[in-house]
Amino acid sequence: MKCYIDSVVVDSRIPADDIRELIPDALLRRRMSRLLRTAVATAVSCVGGVENIASLDAIITATGWGCLTDSERFLRNMISEDEQLLNPTPFIQSTFNTVGGIIALMGKNHCYNMTYVNRSHSFEDALLDSMIRVADGSSRNLLVGAFDEQTQSQYRIMERMGVFRSQSPGEGSVFVSILSEKSQSSLAQLVRLDFPGNSLNETEVLERYASSSASLLLFNSYRDKGLFPTASAHSFARAVELIRCGESEVVVYNEYLGATPAVSVVQCVG
Amino acid sequence: MGVVVTGVGIVSALGVGVQSNIVSMREGRSGISAHPSILKTGNILPVGELRMTNDELHRLADIPVHKHLSRTALLGIIAAREALADAKAEPSKRIGLVSSTSVGGMDLTEGFFREFMKDDSAGRLRDVRMHDCGAITSAMAHYCGINAYTTTISTACSSAANAVMFGAKLIEHDVVDYVVAGGSDALSAFTLNGFKSLMILDRQACRPFDRSRAGLNLGEGAGYLVLQGDKNSAPNYYCRLAGYANRNDAHHQTATSAEGEGAFLAMAEALKLANLSPREVSYINAHGTGTQNNDSAESAAFIRLFGENIPAFSSTKGFTGHTLAAAGGIEAAYSVLSVAKGFLYPNLNFSHPIEEFGLIPNSEFSEGNNIDCVLSNSFGFGGNCSSLVFVR
Repeated sequence: MKCYIDSVVVDSRIPADDIRELIPDALLRRRMSRLLRTAVATAVSCVGGVENIASLDAIITATGWGCLTDSERFLRNMISEDEQLLNPTPFIQSTFNTVGGIIALMGKNHCYNMTYVNRSHSFEDALLDSMIRVADGSSRNLLVGAFDEQTQSQYRIMERMGVFRSQSPGEGSVFVSILSEKSQSSLAQLVRLDFPGNSLNETEVLERYASSSASLLLFNSYRDKGLFPTASAHSFARAVELIRCGESEVVVYNEYLGATPAVSVVQCVG
Repeated sequence: MGVVVTGVGIVSALGVGVQSNIVSMREGRSGISAHPSILKTGNILPVGELRMTNDELHRLADIPVHKHLSRTALLGIIAAREALADAKAEPSKRIGLVSSTSVGGMDLTEGFFREFMKDDSAGRLRDVRMHDCGAITSAMAHYCGINAYTTTISTACSSAANAVMFGAKLIEHDVVDYVVAGGSDALSAFTLNGFKSLMILDRQACRPFDRSRAGLNLGEGAGYLVLQGDKNSAPNYYCRLAGYANRNDAHHQTATSAEGEGAFLAMAEALKLANLSPREVSYINAHGTGTQNNDSAESAAFIRLFGENIPAFSSTKGFTGHTLAAAGGIEAAYSVLSVAKGFLYPNLNFSHPIEEFGLIPNSEFSEGNNIDCVLSNSFGFGGNCSSLVFVR
């Protein structure tokens, strides 16, 4: 099982002005929370514009926390308004597959549309689905994305849980364009995904997953982005960037807050 | 490798376990009550509620009450354990879990938030530890003896059908030997008020496919299948999962297109994968929520796919209510039993067909029918439409 990475976009690289071009529908844009706006803009940028959404044959998203701002807004209104006359918009937008649904809607694309909400493995689960679909010929042109947002309440709750004593908070979106075949624009290839049942140290990871001594290891580098469930997608983006800059192989190992690890191996396109 | 179903587990307003669900439907007894009695809400609206408190569910599952699991996890654990026991899964093999939920641990979060809104140092943290969807799967894996790959899907009301679909892929690609796949959702004030704000809740018992239908009744529950490869399973499996598809309606965030494009594509693709023609379908367990929009769109899609020869169909949501992420799991389990035991389920509260379509759902419970192929439909927000095809 392997597939080709054609493009990777990280939200921090999208200037605010560009969001207006990437999401031309002003009404839609205004209703969106910051997370929705950023994630959808990242997705559109990754495929190179709204007009290219139509050619996708799978849209697979991943989020650990989902649309917290909208969930919280609806919850607050429900409690403060005593369950009366509530605005449905935040409820609609609190659904975990909102981003995937909006992308399909913008491109009028009827293809496979899936959302993984599985803590720190959400992004890797979306990658596994992609690799399986490429392997059995179900999909050839896939968009895979991960997003999570930080809110004040959630920051406060995690702070009370003591999580930020050793880690800093974080958030972000990453979208990856995956093709079944090698192309002129292939940046890297994803050759392996694994979910080992127990924790490994750096030596063990390299022994088990590196194909040569030239292999580079990103060991829990998701921490650089701060603590959020899909931070590992940012390590994956960095791995692709390292391959683009000349590395031959990068092993990405992520073990998040006591969860079992996830490992992906990215190689240069031979 | 073909995928077969070797275990089923159900919890719904009809009761705990497959048997109590089937008995209720045989007797035509709905699980819908006039208003919630366990759920804390000021809304007097009909719901399909399992009349057991969280403490009672802990005891039923033999889990200490102080573990303080969310209701969604408890419902899921009970149904998944039934499915695993039914399949007689061997603990030495790789047993994976693909679960799904739309509310996660919201039933506990709601209580927390009432306190937290007044003072952000207040509220018990143990009430938010299970908020996210993955937390439910993680608890289920822990209490159900899952020893291999697990994941969680959340695509609103089609979630569990998608979990079954991805579960099948994991078997086909030899990622696991067994997979428990389905979904769980507890009633919550969040979802009840959410659907109320969309003005699609019926103040009376829901009437799927009826001319006078006025919305859905929310329900709760969990439904799981155990899937295995046909090469590894015992020969006495329930049925095969021969086809599946997910397609997007790409019409509106919450509403379905009038012609039911997503529903049509999902059913057609699933049958194509199963190598079956529409005329080979014996029964459809419809999504049939009882909303104006869904039942019209689904009827239009039926007519487009089946023409004059519409197979027997019914919505079982008049019994269970719409159990959201669990619906695709509960209804997949009903569909599996339909193929295996020849059951046809009644569509409660139907009296007059929708004029435009004239479709009449199956109205009586019957058994011993010759059912070769059942289609199970689940459609959700975000245009997410899924169909599963079970065959003998």
